[in-house]
Amino acid sequence: MDRFLGWVTKLVLVFLYVPIVAVVVYSFNASPRTSSWEGLSLRWYVELFGDGPLLKTLQTSLIVGIFAAGLATAIGFLSALALTRYRFKGRAFFLGAIVLPLIIPEIVLGVALLTVFGSSGIKLGVVTLVLGHLIVALPLTTLIMMGSLSSLDPSLPEAATDLGCTPWQTFTRVLFPLTRSAMLASFLLSFTTSFSNIVISTFTSGVGTTTMPLRIYSMLKTGITPEINALGALLILLTLVIIFAVGLQQMRRILVGAEEKDQAPDAAPDTISLQTATTER
Amino acid sequence: MVTTAAQTAKPATVVKPRRKPRIQNGYAWLLLTPGLLSVLLLAVWPMVLVGRNSFATSDQYGAVTGGFTFESYLALFDPVYAKTMGYSLGIAAINTVLCLIIGYIVSNYIVAQSPQRQSLLLLLLIVPFWTDFLVRTFAWITLLGNGGPILWFAHLLGIPLDPLVPSQTAVMLALIYAFLPTAVFPIYASMRGIDPSLKEAATDLGCGWWQTHARVIAPLSTPGIIGAALLTFVPTLGVFVIPVLLGGGKELLVGNLIVTLYTEFRNQPMGAALSMVLLVLMLLSIAIGALLLKARKRSA
Repeated sequence: MDRFLGWVTKLVLVFLYVPIVAVVVYSFNASPRTSSWEGLSLRWYVELFGDGPLLKTLQTSLIVGIFAAGLATAIGFLSALALTRYRFKGRAFFLGAIVLPLIIPEIVLGVALLTVFGSSGIKLGVVTLVLGHLIVALPLTTLIMMGSLSSLDPSLPEAATDLGCTPWQTFTRVLFPLTRSAMLASFLLSFTTSFSNIVISTFTSGVGTTTMPLRIYSMLKTGITPEINALGALLILLTLVIIFAVGLQQMRRILVGAEEKDQAPDAAPDTISLQTATTER
Repeated sequence: MVTTAAQTAKPATVVKPRRKPRIQNGYAWLLLTPGLLSVLLLAVWPMVLVGRNSFATSDQYGAVTGGFTFESYLALFDPVYAKTMGYSLGIAAINTVLCLIIGYIVSNYIVAQSPQRQSLLLLLLIVPFWTDFLVRTFAWITLLGNGGPILWFAHLLGIPLDPLVPSQTAVMLALIYAFLPTAVFPIYASMRGIDPSLKEAATDLGCGWWQTHARVIAPLSTPGIIGAALLTFVPTLGVFVIPVLLGGGKELLVGNLIVTLYTEFRNQPMGAALSMVLLVLMLLSIAIGALLLKARKRSA
């Protein structure tokens, strides 16, 4: 039975990669229609870089992604610092509050944001996109930073304070260097969350601030083109780069929790991962 | 020792020596302010407004005019909406069950591998998981559509197959593809904490494969299975891209209805009511999950 299930698993892995491989292969198809194959060509990549409207949406997505990720990382760091370094009344409640956006179905959060922006007269545009993406990314960055900060020896920042460091110096000289990789992970992962977001963007983008996924979506409604496949191949490449930059170890810790061997045998397990937060809620 | 996901989320309080905090808790409040403000202004308050709007009346253009009525909720029982609701619940249930079964099989395989192989297999799961959702969706148009490899292969074998896009098969495949990686991680995280000797003991005591899993492994993986179900069921209901691109927009999910109600019909109260239904379903499934976990703990 286990052998049989091993084969099933291998088939599942094939299932997971066939679409990805297909996108990459078809992006090199010379034919202007995806329905026939006419040999290899880089033509669609060239066309991609000449597609003005698409590049405009890429620019919007980049700007929104950088601001949303920057804000989410900064706010996530501050929240995580409060939640890991201090014991105060209602701490669990506040942790729940910060990760609350995780349990609201994304589409519901999208219409809720549209409602609030509409009723308060805020014009839909880059700002509303950034705010929308920020709230989706915040639980992610907070949990990543909590994971990193809670494995940090609390006496290090305390020592810095004792030695006369201002809070800012403690941050730049102690906390930042020690949590740099988690910060990078927070930034990159929330950037991709924003960059590929379509649900929240559907409700928070305004005229002239169409994001790239929204543009791809409207292009796809009229049918798939080899150009979209070329774009897809580049996005797959971007995914690989991001996973590589974040590091497999870090990625694993975020998605499935820490390694057993990393934990001291008598210490309480200190893992905070995305999925534990979801099961907890 | 069984380290389950739910247990690991508890912060480490055991090893911390008792020490007076050097900095007053006022600092904690200061640090928490931006995060709490964001959640209040961008999640809690917007949800309150949606809740309010779901009971509001609207003018003929769908704009909210205040008042209090259950009309929007009652309108959801209209056959057109009820049909979409029923269809969505069915699709979401099938998707969840399939993702849980496949996720269980895959996790069960991975945890039995050597650490190096586990890392490799996890990487293989992470790549599709983190690949752009739209890319993962339109890949199926290329794969199943006219002239795609699947049709080509079928014709090669002499099977007359029509293009599968748009079709319900394509929608189902894309949904499983979208949610499977999400479902694997929590189950794997739970299973990894199970002491392998328990499985051996069960086998030694004469349990067959089925019994070992039904009585030992599956119950111990409950937190992960529940987590995976939470991440799959209600989120599937809210999907709107897949039915449009792969189903030809004929059979819609709740997500499509919400988008249509807000962006095309501009019927805010009804859109809000439908959104509240999704939110309540999510809260309900969390509550059921928590109850199941509690029941499991009590019986253990």
